[in-house]
Amino acid sequence: MKKMSKLHARWIQGSLASLCVLLASVVGFQSAAIADETCMSPYMAKIVGQEDYVYIWTLGKEGVGDGQDKLVTVSVNPESPHYGKVVNVLSVGGRNEAHHSGLTDDRRYLFAGGLDTNKIFIFDVHSNPSKPSLHKVITDFVEKTGGMVGPHTMYALPGRIMVSALSNNKDHGGRTGLAEFTNEGEFVAAHWMPTDEDMRGAVKVGNIADGYGYDVRVLPRRNVMVTSSFTGWSNYMMDFGKMLGDAEAMKRFGNTVVVWDLHTRKPKKVFEVPGSPLEIRCAWGSQNNYCFTTTALTSQIWLIHEDDAGEWHAQSVGAIGDPSQVPLPVDISITADDKGLWVQTFMDGKTRHFDISDPFNPKQTYEHVIGSQVNMTSQSWDGKRMYFTSSLLGNWDKTGDQDEQFFKLFEWNGKELVQKFAIDFYAENLGRPHQMRFGAYSLYGQKPNSKGTMLSQRVE
Amino acid sequence: MNRMNKAVLVINALVVFAAALSLFSATASRGSADAPELQNRAIFGPGDVKHGYESADYTTSTLDLLNRIGKEAELIKFAEQPPLGLPPVPVPADNPLTAKKILLGRKLFFDRRLSINNTFSCAMCHIPEQGFTNNELETAVGVEGRSGKRNTPTIYNVAYFGKIFHDGRESTLEQQVWAPFLARNEMANPSIGYVINKINAIDEYDGLFEEVFHGRGPTMETIGMALASYQRTLNAADSPFDRWYYGKEKNAVSDQVKRGFRLFTGKGACSSCHLVQKEHALFTDDRLHNTGLGYEVSMGRDSGTTRVQLAPGIFTELENSVINSVSRFEKNDLGLYEVTEDPNDRWKFRTPSLRNVALTAPYMHNGSFHTLREVLDFYNRGGIPNELLSPLIRPLNLTDSEIEDLLAFLRSLTGGNVPILVTDAFAAPIGDVSKDDPDWTHKNKLKY
Repeated sequence: MKKMSKLHARWIQGSLASLCVLLASVVGFQSAAIADETCMSPYMAKIVGQEDYVYIWTLGKEGVGDGQDKLVTVSVNPESPHYGKVVNVLSVGGRNEAHHSGLTDDRRYLFAGGLDTNKIFIFDVHSNPSKPSLHKVITDFVEKTGGMVGPHTMYALPGRIMVSALSNNKDHGGRTGLAEFTNEGEFVAAHWMPTDEDMRGAVKVGNIADGYGYDVRVLPRRNVMVTSSFTGWSNYMMDFGKMLGDAEAMKRFGNTVVVWDLHTRKPKKVFEVPGSPLEIRCAWGSQNNYCFTTTALTSQIWLIHEDDAGEWHAQSVGAIGDPSQVPLPVDISITADDKGLWVQTFMDGKTRHFDISDPFNPKQTYEHVIGSQVNMTSQSWDGKRMYFTSSLLGNWDKTGDQDEQFFKLFEWNGKELVQKFAIDFYAENLGRPHQMRFGAYSLYGQKPNSKGTMLSQRVE
Repeated sequence: MNRMNKAVLVINALVVFAAALSLFSATASRGSADAPELQNRAIFGPGDVKHGYESADYTTSTLDLLNRIGKEAELIKFAEQPPLGLPPVPVPADNPLTAKKILLGRKLFFDRRLSINNTFSCAMCHIPEQGFTNNELETAVGVEGRSGKRNTPTIYNVAYFGKIFHDGRESTLEQQVWAPFLARNEMANPSIGYVINKINAIDEYDGLFEEVFHGRGPTMETIGMALASYQRTLNAADSPFDRWYYGKEKNAVSDQVKRGFRLFTGKGACSSCHLVQKEHALFTDDRLHNTGLGYEVSMGRDSGTTRVQLAPGIFTELENSVINSVSRFEKNDLGLYEVTEDPNDRWKFRTPSLRNVALTAPYMHNGSFHTLREVLDFYNRGGIPNELLSPLIRPLNLTDSEIEDLLAFLRSLTGGNVPILVTDAFAAPIGDVSKDDPDWTHKNKLKY
C-alpha cells in the first residue's frame, strides 16, 4: 500500500512535468524553460530546465584504463564549474558489451544492459545525481526469461521496465523476445516474438516472421507497442569485417517490425521491413499516429503508421545516403515537434537532419561529420543541444586511426551544428562510450552545492 | 558465390530435409503428436530457417524455440552397440562408460557457466540440431565475440578419431576438452583451477562427481573423463547407405546413390582419404592433407571487393578496404604447421568423416563452401595448385551427372539415430546463471 502511494506520487510528479511541457509549448517559451531528451518513454518524468549530467554507458576495452564497462558521468550544465568534464566513473566488472540503458518512469534508477553477459546493472541516479551508485545487478536474466540473451532496450512503462532481447541461449541466433521487470528489478513476464510456428495471435503481413528483436517503443494513446529486429549474439558479438565476409552470417539479420497491443502485450501485426530495422522513434503530437525506424543494412527510413480506419502499416519513405555503400544508419532522434529526424550513419561518421513535416516524404536538409565514426545521439527537448558518442559494438568499431572514441556536445542553431566540447574517451582511459541518458537535480528537489556538485570522485 | 550456387544450396537443403524427414519417421518416436513435421524440422537444421534467403521472395518458416521437445535416450547403447556401419567404440581402460558418467558429461556439455563470463558451453558452437556444429557461421565465434579462424567441426563419431581438431593436434577426448575450456577465443577460462573452483561452487554439481568417480570430485581428469564419455556416445550411423552396403537391404538406397558410391570408390577416388572398410566405414583416413584451400586463403591476392547480402534479394559489392576498416580478423591458417612448425606441413588439415555430412554445412576447415556441390566442384578441379599440394588431389573430370550421383551418395550418409541423439540433447538442462551461482555480485563468490 505504501509502495502504491509512492508510485502514485511519482506518477503525479511525472504528469505535472509533462503538463509543464505542454503549457510551455502553448505559450511559446519552450526553448527557455524546457530541456530533457526527446525519444524517451512518455511515461517518464521530464527534466524541467537544463540537464545537469549525462550518464554514458561505456564499454571497457582491453588495454584502456581498467578495461571494464563503466558508467561515466559528465557535467553538462554550463553553470557548473565542471562543465564538460567527467565528474564520476563507476566500473562494474567485466566487459559485458555495455550497450543501451533506460531510466525508470520515476527516473530514480537507470537500467543498463550487457548484451554479452546478460547482466542488467541498476544504478541509483537520484540519491546523488552527480555520483550514481550501483543499486542492484540482475544476473539471472537468461534463466528467468526462459532463455533470452542480450538485454537491449530498457524502456519505461508505469512501474515497469520493458527489456527487448536480441538472442537466445540455444543457438545464439536472432530468435528472442521481450522481458518485463518491475522498477525494483524483479522479473514479471516473458513475451516471445511471433514466429511462423507460433504467431501468438499475430498476422503476418508480408512473407517474414523471423522472431527477431531489437528496440521497443510505445504510443499509449493508440494502445500500441512497436518492436524492431536486429541479429543474434553470434553476429553482434562477431568481428564486423569477418561477418560481412561470411555469407551465412549475413542471412541472420532481422527483417521485421511488429506492432503489439500495448496493454495485453500480444503481437498483432508482423511487417516485413528488410535490412534490419533498428531504433524506433514515435511521434509526440497528439494527432501523429506514427513511428519511424531506419534499416541498418538497406539504409531506408520506414514509417510505421495508422490509417483513418485504425489499421497499421509499414512503408519505406526514403533513403539515407547511398545505400549501395552501406552507410549503416544507427541511432536516430526525433525532434519534440515531430518536424525533424536526426539520423547517424556509422561508417561515414555523419549526422543527417531530415525534415519530416510530411512523414511520408522525408527530405534531408543538413549533414555534418561528427567524427570518423558515430553512433548514439541524445537531443535536448528544445532541440538546441545534441550529444553524440562514437561506439557501436565492441567488435564492430573501426580500427587504427579511425577508432576515435568520444563524447561530444554540439549546439544546433537551426542551420548548423556548432561543437561546444568534446571528451576523448581513450585519452581519459575510459573506453568506448555508447548510450547517454540525462540527469538533473531538479527531478529530485535537489540543488548542487557551492562546488557545483553534491559529491564527486573526480572534481577537476 | 553466385546465384546459381545459391539455388543449388536451396535444392540441396530441401533434398536433405526430405531425406531427413523419411529417416526420422522410420526410426524415432514422434516428438509431438499434433505437429510431427515441425518437430522433425527442428532436428535437422537451424530453426531459424533461411532457405531461399537469396531471393526477394524469401518466405520464413521459422520454428519456435518454446516448442522444442526433448526426450532422454539411453545413450550408452550407441557406444556399447554402435549403429550399423560403425566399428566397436574404442574406450580407454581407465575411463569405462557408465550411464551416470555420460549424463554428467552431458550436463557439463550444455553448461554455459563453464566459461569466464557464463556465456559459453560446448553446445553454443556444437549445436545439436545443426549437426553438432554451427550451420550459421563459416568460422566460430567465442567469448566476447573473439574470432575463431576455423569452422566448428561436428562431434558425431568423434569417439573414433585418433587426431582431433582440424590440425590434428590432440589425441584423446579426455585431453581435448581442455583446449576449448582454456582457449581465449573459445570459453576463455583463465585456468584449470578456475573451472574446478566454479563447478565446486555450483550447488547442482554437489556430489555428482563423487558418485560417478567413486568419491573423486571434479578434477582436470574427471571433468575430461565425463565430457569424453558423453561425446563417445554421439555415434550416428545406420544410414540408408549402411543399410544397403552393410545391412544388405537392396532397396535402402536409390540407383543414383549406388552409382554415386561406385564413383566415390572409383573414378572420384574419394575413398583414398575417406576410407570405406569391408565391415564398417569411418569415411576418414585420420590423416592430414594439403588441398590448396588453406594455401589460397594465406597466399591468394585480395580480390578488391566482396559481395555482401544486405537483405533477401538485396546484395552490394563492398570495397575490401571498407570491410578491413572494421575488422581485426586474421584469416591465415597454416594447419598442421602450427603444431609441428615443419614447413612441409603448411596448409595440411585433417580429413573429416563424411558421415552425416548433409547436416554439417558449411564445409572445409574454414567453412568457405556452403554446399556439398561447391565441395565436389573444388575437388573436381583438382583443388588449388601449390608446391605442397597432396598428390592425392588431382582433376577428376567428373561430369555433371556424375557429380549429382556423388551428391546423392553423400546425402545417404545421414545416421538413422540422429533424431534420437538430438532430442536427447534437447532434454539436457542448459546451465545458465541463477542467483545461487558464483558471481562477484552474489553472496556466492569464487574463493580466491
